[in-house]
Amino acid sequence: MLRPERMRRLLIAAPQGEIETIVSELYRHNVYHIEDFVPESTSSDSLSIGHPLSWASDAASALIKVRAIESAAGIDPENVETRAKLPASKVRAMIQTDLPAIQKEAEGLIASRSRLETQQKEHEQRAKELEPFTVVPLDLELYRGYTRFTVFAGHIAHDADIDVPHEKYFSDKPAVNMIVVVVQSEDREPVERTLLDAGFQAVPIPDETGSPAELRNDHLAKADQIGTEITAANTRLAEFRERHTDFLVACDELLTADVERAEAPLRFATTEETFITEGWVPEDRADRIQEALERVTNGRIYIEELEVDDDTAVPVEYENPSFARPSQVLMDVYARPRYSELDPTLLLAIVFPIFFGMILGDVGYGTVLLLLSLGLRKVLTGEGGRMLLKVLSIASISSIIFGILYSEFLGFSLPWPALIFSRHLNIGGAASGHGPQVVELMIVAIWIGILHITLGRILGILNARKLYHGNHATKAILSHIGWLAVMWGILLLIWSFFPIPMMPDLTGLPVVAMGFNVSAVTGIVLLIAGVIGIAQENPLEVVELPTIISHVLSYARLVAVGLSSVAIAMVVNYISIGMLIEPQLAAITPLGVIIIIAGILVFLLGHVLNTALGLLGGGLHSIRLHYVEFFTKFYKGGGIKYNPFGMKSKFTEE
Amino acid sequence: MVDVGTTLEMVQASQAGMSAVGAGLAVGLTGVGTGIAEMGIGAAAVGATAENRDMFGLALLFTVIPETIVIFGLVVALLLLF
Repeated sequence: MLRPERMRRLLIAAPQGEIETIVSELYRHNVYHIEDFVPESTSSDSLSIGHPLSWASDAASALIKVRAIESAAGIDPENVETRAKLPASKVRAMIQTDLPAIQKEAEGLIASRSRLETQQKEHEQRAKELEPFTVVPLDLELYRGYTRFTVFAGHIAHDADIDVPHEKYFSDKPAVNMIVVVVQSEDREPVERTLLDAGFQAVPIPDETGSPAELRNDHLAKADQIGTEITAANTRLAEFRERHTDFLVACDELLTADVERAEAPLRFATTEETFITEGWVPEDRADRIQEALERVTNGRIYIEELEVDDDTAVPVEYENPSFARPSQVLMDVYARPRYSELDPTLLLAIVFPIFFGMILGDVGYGTVLLLLSLGLRKVLTGEGGRMLLKVLSIASISSIIFGILYSEFLGFSLPWPALIFSRHLNIGGAASGHGPQVVELMIVAIWIGILHITLGRILGILNARKLYHGNHATKAILSHIGWLAVMWGILLLIWSFFPIPMMPDLTGLPVVAMGFNVSAVTGIVLLIAGVIGIAQENPLEVVELPTIISHVLSYARLVAVGLSSVAIAMVVNYISIGMLIEPQLAAITPLGVIIIIAGILVFLLGHVLNTALGLLGGGLHSIRLHYVEFFTKFYKGGGIKYNPFGMKSKFTEE
Repeated sequence: MVDVGTTLEMVQASQAGMSAVGAGLAVGLTGVGTGIAEMGIGAAAVGATAENRDMFGLALLFTVIPETIVIFGLVVALLLLF
């Protein structure tokens, strides 16, 4: 809690002969974070990168085959639910015996489907080409094969008069406007000109014989028939998927593991006869893995625990109580903590929902978002997505609680007055109670800001003690204290001159000199001392002093964004119910019913929009207050993700 | 200067109206300011995210930084109105 999991650094050295046993054992335990070996070009010792194990290429080529089948059949292992775990030995046997047949079957199915699809397209194309000719009562063989006649066939804007001997068919069916003209070849040019003037566009004559209408129907029937065959092929493919998915994803998993194991020596340092690897193991599991390695190699191994000297090299794994775990995804978006610094996930997990609830305190919207987050769990199967939905569930529960306190339901008030501060605006003249307590809410938000930033600075002092040493640490701590002193100095100064509701009133304190009372003088002293404290670490930081005020005021968004969401909800209610629905309900007319339906639509659309805005506003602003105002006070981040060598098997078991 | 035709009610009403105009200007102009500031950041952020998906969190963070301006405008407007 509040710090990442403790790690131990291990150095493992063993003879080359044991490499396979050790790799398998490490992989099985899934706790060892390998530190990749980087050969130094200048070093004179004979360490070099290891070679992959002998069966690496076989496993890799089998894996490529399996992945190809999966992608052809549309199987995504990420989204496959585990039905039953297959024993690894059985899968291995089946890779030898069944995989080639399955591959052949998949290829056959895919090929036959794509062949059918090509045929269907061809028939549809033919039918489309024939379509214009169906309006002309001529068989297709009559369009060609003349020596002394020329045939014009095509679309035309309007009928054209032709002043040479000719035979003509014209159809002004809308969207077709087909014309067919047969003239003697010597009249060809003038006729062509006349036709072109009338907007003639030639259509190629299909290379078929018989009645165009019949031919077209024939092609369409064939395309339909092929369509059913394609459906059948798809069913066969779905059946194939149904039958083999379990096996294929198991193969994928097993072979991926094989490849990873076989390629592990690429991350080790080796000599002719031995290999060396360095890596990280969580403290509570370090002893167990050491014993296990000693046992499988019969003691033919050397393990040494190394000093942790550089904290940037240590992989970082979160260690949080279960309710805070989903918030880790929000931490990873910013940056993973460094090994020796404070991990603020727990604080984020507690404060983020409170901020969200303060902004979107509404029973109606909270319920909608809660149902949404629960419903989407079935759709979103990715790890990060699930975590985000859990964060959203917690936040929307907080929103419901604040909704009860604010007495709000989709902008209406609940049957009780606001239990804390009211946010009911006077929109449409329907205000009840004493209207919105904006000033009080704003001061509460400022208080939250002051306390949150003070907490941030205190954490900064603790972090500085952990991250830096000696003089540097003292300077950093003094600078944090300086920032705190300036902030509280300004506050004392303000309080000594202006009485502000819900804040200490220090205007009545005894005056010391020049109209400044005790608190004002203390404030000035704190301010000057604080500026000196900041400047002794880095004089340039002094230009950042205005951020003290802007960061504290920034917390006013907790009220401002919330009030704007309340305002939108109330305006939507007023337009839809007050202006559209209620006046019509007094005397119902046919037009009135339409207006009432429009009113209901406005109501639904408005609240859907406001839910989306509330989710975006509530979520983004709450997280931003953490990222920009809180984390910048103490948090460094930039830790390496702990990525243990191994895999959680999902589809197979040993 | 004493305007003969104005009564106390008229002065009060015009003051209320002026503060409403002020509130509107506060939100409107700061909104424009935020928009202009986010324009450049947003474009760069989308570009960076397209290059590297991991940038998304940081890009979002950068994009919402100027939002403080409009929040200040909203705060001023609320203080004027209530």
